[in-house]
Amino acid sequence: MTKLLYIIFAGIFFFSSSISHALEVIEILGGKANQIPIAVMPFKSFGAPKNIAKVNTVIKSDLSRSGLFYALDTRGVSASPNSDKEVNFSQWKSLEAQFLIIGRVDFLKKEKVKVSWSLIDIYKQQTILSGEYVGKKNQIRAIGHKVSDKVYERLTGSKGVFHTKIAFVEKYNNEKYKLNIADYDGYNITSLLDSKMPIISPRWSPDGEKIAYVSFEKEKPVIYIQEIATGKRKLLANFKGNNSAPAWSPDGKKLAIVLTYNANSQIYLINADGSDVTRLVRSRSITTEPAWSPDGKEIYYTSNQGGGPQIYKYNLDSSEISRVTFEGKYNLYPSLSYDGKLLLYLTQDQGKFKVAVQNLLSNQVLKLTKGPLDEAPAFAPNGHMILFVYKDYGKTTKIGTVSINGLKIDPLPLGNKQVQEPAWGPIKN
Amino acid sequence: MKFFKIENNENLQANLFSFAVHLALFLIMIFSVGWQTKTPNYAEVELWDSVPVQKKIKKTQAKPKQKIIQTNKAAEAKAKAKAKAQKEADIRLKKKKAAEAKAKKLKKQKAIKALKEKVLKQEKIEKLKKEMLEKEKIERLQQQIIEQQKIEKMQAELRENELKQENKLAIDGEKEIKGGVNPGELNKYKLLIQQKIQQNVNQQLCGLDYITLEFRISLMPTGELLGQPKMTKSSNITSCDDAVERAIIQSQPLPLPKDRGLFSKLKNLELKFHPNGVE
Repeated sequence: MTKLLYIIFAGIFFFSSSISHALEVIEILGGKANQIPIAVMPFKSFGAPKNIAKVNTVIKSDLSRSGLFYALDTRGVSASPNSDKEVNFSQWKSLEAQFLIIGRVDFLKKEKVKVSWSLIDIYKQQTILSGEYVGKKNQIRAIGHKVSDKVYERLTGSKGVFHTKIAFVEKYNNEKYKLNIADYDGYNITSLLDSKMPIISPRWSPDGEKIAYVSFEKEKPVIYIQEIATGKRKLLANFKGNNSAPAWSPDGKKLAIVLTYNANSQIYLINADGSDVTRLVRSRSITTEPAWSPDGKEIYYTSNQGGGPQIYKYNLDSSEISRVTFEGKYNLYPSLSYDGKLLLYLTQDQGKFKVAVQNLLSNQVLKLTKGPLDEAPAFAPNGHMILFVYKDYGKTTKIGTVSINGLKIDPLPLGNKQVQEPAWGPIKN
Repeated sequence: MKFFKIENNENLQANLFSFAVHLALFLIMIFSVGWQTKTPNYAEVELWDSVPVQKKIKKTQAKPKQKIIQTNKAAEAKAKAKAKAQKEADIRLKKKKAAEAKAKKLKKQKAIKALKEKVLKQEKIEKLKKEMLEKEKIERLQQQIIEQQKIEKMQAELRENELKQENKLAIDGEKEIKGGVNPGELNKYKLLIQQKIQQNVNQQLCGLDYITLEFRISLMPTGELLGQPKMTKSSNITSCDDAVERAIIQSQPLPLPKDRGLFSKLKNLELKFHPNGVE
């Protein structure tokens, strides 16, 4: 009997204790497109020569351009700490900084430089990432980009694209064209091709070793593939009519191209060595501007089959065609993010051409720019930024970046160059 | 409701009293006044009117006396005189009776008048009394109304103060609820906490997929975290896990009530995050 009572009391006790400890649950849906406040302190420099780029300036610029970070002004802050132990956390909290980057630059013998850096979490009050790079003195910007990449990846989970390259066409002397390659932020420009005839539609191969482009040097548009390292090039497509809009397949073995072989512009597939040309979409309408899905199973393209230009997709396995864009009467120039979840294109909105992004999961469309004459948007390899051309009502043409949240539009520092047709290269290991 | 009762009782008493008085008057009227119409005595009124005739009679009486003495027919005259005297005696008797009746009648009338006066006086007294009672009642009622108004005013003030206090407490998180936790208050604070943390969740660091993260936190009464947030379910995206953890830390101090009972419900929380919404 006593045992039974004990059992009953124990049961009551556990029951009541379980009730008293039942947790209140709060569900939190969504969030905000907040920029992360980050402070990048000037790196302490030892033995620095004159006119050398400052690493902290490069990092600050990179993180700001991404649109995900807000670089705090640190001019009023006293001396940079050497480690997290010297950090006055309450001071940084009062500045609303969430992270702090500190570092030092040592100029070594033989024109070498060593950059040491640390990323400190202000809330956790500890260093969460640190590193050291050694390179040539003239690689100081590249080292800065590498630091930015590491910080970006640690804090966002996505690879940074600050150490990537871009290509663009420059028109100079009003009659000549250059196919240029530069750092993603427009620095370190080198010319891959110089031509008296227009060059359009440069496209990086997935491995970043080659570029396909359209040249008018044969009195009509034809497609070339050129190796970046050696400058060697070969003619890929010179079929009857126009040859244009090359798009590399994700594996780099094929290209989708547009030919006017049978009248209207139609999409064809061609092997990267120029063999095996097959017509892809059979349509009486115009089909152009092909773009591969990252899995290589679908090709998105622009067509006027419904009247105005809209974006459709073609399934390579089923040959099924479906329309993708429905918002707006004029959508063109498609490309996909590295994960295939976002579709980038140009849209005409209230008479202005703007860069738009469509979430392919929800079909929600976000217009990232204001126009009025935006052109040729191209995704960064991590899908977080977009390179595009914008014109200030015909006054000047600029290449700039816009962050995927639309919060940051930054022109590249290209001076008064007449630039067009930008393309963003892949992340290279 | 109470006042109506009092009024009804008083009315009843007054009515009963009035009825009794009227009944008494009615009975007096019935039993003290002769209502028979056959009474011949009332013809005596006319006799009163013929008082000068009496004087004539006296004169005529004197004349037969002289004639009896002077004539032979004295006996006859005497008899006639006797008859006349008898008649006069009868008349006198009648007069006497009439006077008595009149006096009686007067007396009765006087009595009736006195009674009437008495009744009137009584009625007046009653009326006055009633009026006084009414006045008193009115005054009492007025007093009661004033008191009621005072009570109502006080109650209103109390309610107002209570409401103010309640609002104040709601704002300050100081409301004390006896016998448990007010679910409305609890939900209000849960909503406040949810809103504050949500503002700091950087959705951009959580990709595009429908993901869920869960954290457990313990709070101090000041709204500060007691220790670090404990992640019980990861999104499998490090940047997202970190961003959500930062959002929780950044949201300090969280809005909490000062009421102990309510706070005890909120001091340990499970936070479920859906940065990209739910399917």
